[in-house]
Amino acid sequence: MTDDQKAALRPGPAATQTIESAAGSDTVLEYVDICKAFPGAGRTVVALNHVSFPVRRGEFISLVGPSGCGKTTLLRITDGLDHPDQGSVLLEGTPLSGVSQDMAYVFQEINLLPWRSVTKNIELGLEARGVPKQERRDRAMEMLQMVGLSSVADVPPYTLSGGMQQRVGVARAVAVRPKVLLMDEPFGQLDNFTREALQVDIAELWARLGMTIVFVTHDVDEAIFLSDRIALFQPDPGRLTEIVNVDLPRPRTDYDVRADRRAIELRSYIVSQLRTRGGAGS
Amino acid sequence: MAREPASIAVPIDSARYPGEVSPPGPDWVIPVIGEARPRTAAGPWAWVVAHRDPIAKALAVAAFLAVWQASGAFLNSIFVSTPSATAAALASLVGNGQLPGAFLRSLLEMAGGLCAACVIGIGVGLLMGRVRLVERALEPLVAFGNATPSIALLPVMEVWFGIDTAARVAFITVICTWPLLVNTYAGVRAVRGRYTDVGVAFGLSGWRQTWQVYLPGTMPFIFVGLRIALAVGAVGMILGGQEIGQAGLGGLTANFGSYSETADLVATIVTTTALAMLLFAAFRQLQAWRFPWIAATSAGRRRSK
Repeated sequence: MTDDQKAALRPGPAATQTIESAAGSDTVLEYVDICKAFPGAGRTVVALNHVSFPVRRGEFISLVGPSGCGKTTLLRITDGLDHPDQGSVLLEGTPLSGVSQDMAYVFQEINLLPWRSVTKNIELGLEARGVPKQERRDRAMEMLQMVGLSSVADVPPYTLSGGMQQRVGVARAVAVRPKVLLMDEPFGQLDNFTREALQVDIAELWARLGMTIVFVTHDVDEAIFLSDRIALFQPDPGRLTEIVNVDLPRPRTDYDVRADRRAIELRSYIVSQLRTRGGAGS
Repeated sequence: MAREPASIAVPIDSARYPGEVSPPGPDWVIPVIGEARPRTAAGPWAWVVAHRDPIAKALAVAAFLAVWQASGAFLNSIFVSTPSATAAALASLVGNGQLPGAFLRSLLEMAGGLCAACVIGIGVGLLMGRVRLVERALEPLVAFGNATPSIALLPVMEVWFGIDTAARVAFITVICTWPLLVNTYAGVRAVRGRYTDVGVAFGLSGWRQTWQVYLPGTMPFIFVGLRIALAVGAVGMILGGQEIGQAGLGGLTANFGSYSETADLVATIVTTTALAMLLFAAFRQLQAWRFPWIAATSAGRRRSK
């Protein structure tokens, strides 16, 4: 699918100020020959074996694969939480070293700090970036409104349900206005109904803000519903085997994607690819 | 009576699946088996049943006091003082100002020692947890110091600080520092990972990480350390009072003990217990007031969420 077609399918403006300023390039993030091994007792686990691929500006890309295929490791490397043994991550052509202020992370375990109120949790990244107090508060409130949680601004996070907590987790990440939003199985701990509701929310948020999102999941349906492209990973050694274009019309919230014929075809293809190539190792 | 839900057969979309025949409509219903009935207790025993916990506690204390009082009829008052004699001794010791003075002195010494121990223990524990080199350097020394029975250092305190307040406070400080240090250090190591990933991911600087993530994250461990420090510190407070120049509540117990003033002795011991319980309650209140999240999340944390 060409970019023109893609832009036509996407609701609203394809880009806002968040993602402008590129050097005319279509690529925002690029992985170049990333290798990472975890030495263990008796056996060294190769989490990532020569992984290279570009992430396009404004796209929603999912990293999908079974446990141990290195997808979370790649996301942690992107944010500087882990360091690659070899290779580099380029953000707009510049190699990243350590933590980038242009990225934000949504954790699977949500990890809201229990000693801070909901608003103070959202302000965390803004504090680190030296945003003045009043503006921090305003932006946090704006984010809360966006995720529909204005009423719980000053309560401690542990009083919220899992779904509400992860909405706060998303708000905390989006508050720093990242160029790339990294999400590590963000809905993995939620029940089915809550997960589907949050999938719809994140799809709408992505369409509205025009962010680039790199999304890790092992749920193929979730990846199909949300993504422009799906990168398939295999374990032992962890490697990228294929990138699948999801050529389904957007917005996908208007129809039942999971029952769509093309979606079912894509799902069958992805599942068979993941099954035939890796299986033996696990 | 709640309405029974009918089971529905979803009709087949004949446009998408021509020729398929829909299954027949509702052919069975799910029966409602029974309705929850509120459990009610009535009768003369209802009040007793509702308050059985406090009643049991009050009865146990009353029984203990009764047996103690009765024993006074058979035993020499040098060996056993009765509750009534203890109460009388307590009243007279409070009246002549001896007990309040000793209480205040011991309380202040305890507070001073505990505060100094907090600064040293939490400070060094945090530093060890945050700076690798300090951790490596101090690990053997901390293991050595923690294993040393602090009671053995009492004469050392006398040699260094004389036989007055300074030595007693230093003794309490030495005793209380170890549980605080070891727990803080363990806490910082336990916090690494989960919460500190958040700090790193959101770009907090090293200092902000320490103050805004590591220190609050370690608070549950610090409170455990505080409770242990309080328990061992109370021992140090009494022992110091007995051995270093006979002062405070410890001094009174030594004094009354040597003259076999058993009723006065028991009154002093009860006062000591009250002091320790007061401090325990104060810490509990502090935790509930400033750190309500500790109690609220400790159950959840075990579920790894």
